[in-house]
Amino acid sequence: MDSLSRRLLASVAVPLALFAALMMLVLDIGFRTLAERSLRQVLDSQIVALIAAAEPQPNGGYAPPPQALDPGLARPRSGLYAEIRSPQHRWRSPSMAGLSADFGEPPASRQRELYYADFGRDRVAIESRTIRFENDPHGARTLIFSVAASLGPYEQQLWRFRSELLAWFTGSMVLLLVTLAALQHWVLAPVRRLEREIHEVEEGRTEKLGTGYPRELAGVARNLNALLIGERRRVVRYRDTLGNLAHSLKTPLAVMRSSLPAGTPPGTLGAEIDRMSGIIEHQLKRAAASGGALLGAAPVEVEQVATELRMALLRVYAGKDLIIELALAPGAQFIGDRGDLTELLGNLLDNACKWCRSRVRLTAGSDGAMQVRERLSLTIEDDGPGISAADRARVLERGVRADASVPGHGLGLAMVRDTVDLYGGQLMIDRSPLGGARVAVRLSGR
Amino acid sequence: MRVLVVEDEATLREALRSRLVGAGFTVDVASDGNEGLFAGQEYPLDVAIIDLGLPGLSGLELIRRLRAARKAYPILILTARDNWQDKVTGLQAGADDYVVKPFHFEEILARLQALLRRAGGWASPQLKCGPIVLDTRAQTVEVQGAAVELTTFEYRILEHLMLHAGEVISKSELTERLYQQDFERDSNVIEVLVGRLRRKLDPHDDVRPIETLRGRGYRFALSRDPPS
Repeated sequence: MDSLSRRLLASVAVPLALFAALMMLVLDIGFRTLAERSLRQVLDSQIVALIAAAEPQPNGGYAPPPQALDPGLARPRSGLYAEIRSPQHRWRSPSMAGLSADFGEPPASRQRELYYADFGRDRVAIESRTIRFENDPHGARTLIFSVAASLGPYEQQLWRFRSELLAWFTGSMVLLLVTLAALQHWVLAPVRRLEREIHEVEEGRTEKLGTGYPRELAGVARNLNALLIGERRRVVRYRDTLGNLAHSLKTPLAVMRSSLPAGTPPGTLGAEIDRMSGIIEHQLKRAAASGGALLGAAPVEVEQVATELRMALLRVYAGKDLIIELALAPGAQFIGDRGDLTELLGNLLDNACKWCRSRVRLTAGSDGAMQVRERLSLTIEDDGPGISAADRARVLERGVRADASVPGHGLGLAMVRDTVDLYGGQLMIDRSPLGGARVAVRLSGR
Repeated sequence: MRVLVVEDEATLREALRSRLVGAGFTVDVASDGNEGLFAGQEYPLDVAIIDLGLPGLSGLELIRRLRAARKAYPILILTARDNWQDKVTGLQAGADDYVVKPFHFEEILARLQALLRRAGGWASPQLKCGPIVLDTRAQTVEVQGAAVELTTFEYRILEHLMLHAGEVISKSELTERLYQQDFERDSNVIEVLVGRLRRKLDPHDDVRPIETLRGRGYRFALSRDPPS
């Protein structure tokens, strides 16, 4: 029941089924009452006719004359039977020929009620009247007139009625539900579209929600769009501000440093300038890392970023005879901010280029079996001296360099770790088959 | 070596200029992008240092225009924005290396020398041609293991010739790299300096490191040692 459309359908279908069942019950009762009443009328008129036609017989009993008999009573096994019974005699209608049956005693308390009996395989409804004939030539006597009608045709009718009723109800129910489902499909189409478009925005396949929503949803879509665009603009402005702040803080620092007389030993002032620029560097970079996919920002092609960085690094390290190998699975994408990926790969590749003898390798792949958060795997290896097990945890700390003789602020790996943490990914350092360090990162991607 | 510094911050520009002069460079300065473009196109430069955050013509645009004007000398970027996206953009525009502010001057010097070596096809900071070894970092020259004292001008001429070992360098090209302004271009000065260099490097006149090509200029004739 976690879907609106299923809820709606159920909310209509359940009462509808209950209503149909109730209707069927009411109609069934009504039909039975009606049928019973008409049966009773038949029996009433038959018994009245029988009583009227009954004449004393020479043998002392009573019987109607054969020409006065209802055709139903004359035809054998017609389903309509009659009996006139006195203590000494009994007359039965010709329709009962060969039928061993007993009308039984009418229930004393309910004289005019119908009662039921089995005539062979036939179930019948019986009406009896007990009449006392006072002025009979053979003396006063009590006669029991009984008329029975087979319930077969009545039951057949009932069942036919029931099956027709069921068919009609089922048919109209199905028709109604199908119509409802279709209507609901139409009514909920904008909601489904909204859902689909939000999903697309999440996956970065589209920048914002489309237009043309019905009035009730148009406001939601418009506000969501405003939020998305506002958020993107905010991040861009935020980064610009941070960049300008870095620029306006670091240029004066550069001025201060350059004002130190040439050849002064690295004294207090120089050390403080270093410390300040280190803090600015770290804090501003940390603040600039977006730490998550911006909704609606397109996924980043790893290949594009890697190719650009490779070109840049080959330029910077032109004095070093090195090979940067890119082994990228086609279509590997990073779901997140382009700047974050560039920073992360730039730092890792720069480290690898700094330390390698001649080979650096970047492997990128997308592992569909992993959850989205860890789907993109990036591995950076080199054939340099590697990082000893003892140093691996230490180099991730801010400002620690395993070997102070190679230039760099030592912030690279710590920044990488911060970025990976922000994205909820994984970072691992071990030894590469190439001989040097291997840094493996898992990030959200596809 | 003639270097152009394009930096809008006056104190920094002046500090860089004096330090670079102290390190033996001939220095041109420009305080914004348009000045930088003029200097970069008009002067015979060996290398340029360009700040990315320039007023007027931006650093990036300046680099693009210089490259579009077929200026091939190495360019070193100065940037306050230490992120890879900016570095990549700068390098794509045609720069060769970057230094992040605030820098140590020694770092700038090391990068400049590396760029100059690379531009001349040298891989190591020590230029070795047979018995002559020139160390661009220490700015020292040794002949057969013995240190040779050179004046600043002598050193600059030798460094330029050795960086471009095998190529013919005209007298006017050498003059331009020694003097910042277009003084009277007295080619006799170069001849005197080269003559002194020859005597200091080759007192017995048996190595003959510097060839004179009449009417065309000079050439460092010893072949480069393969990198060890």
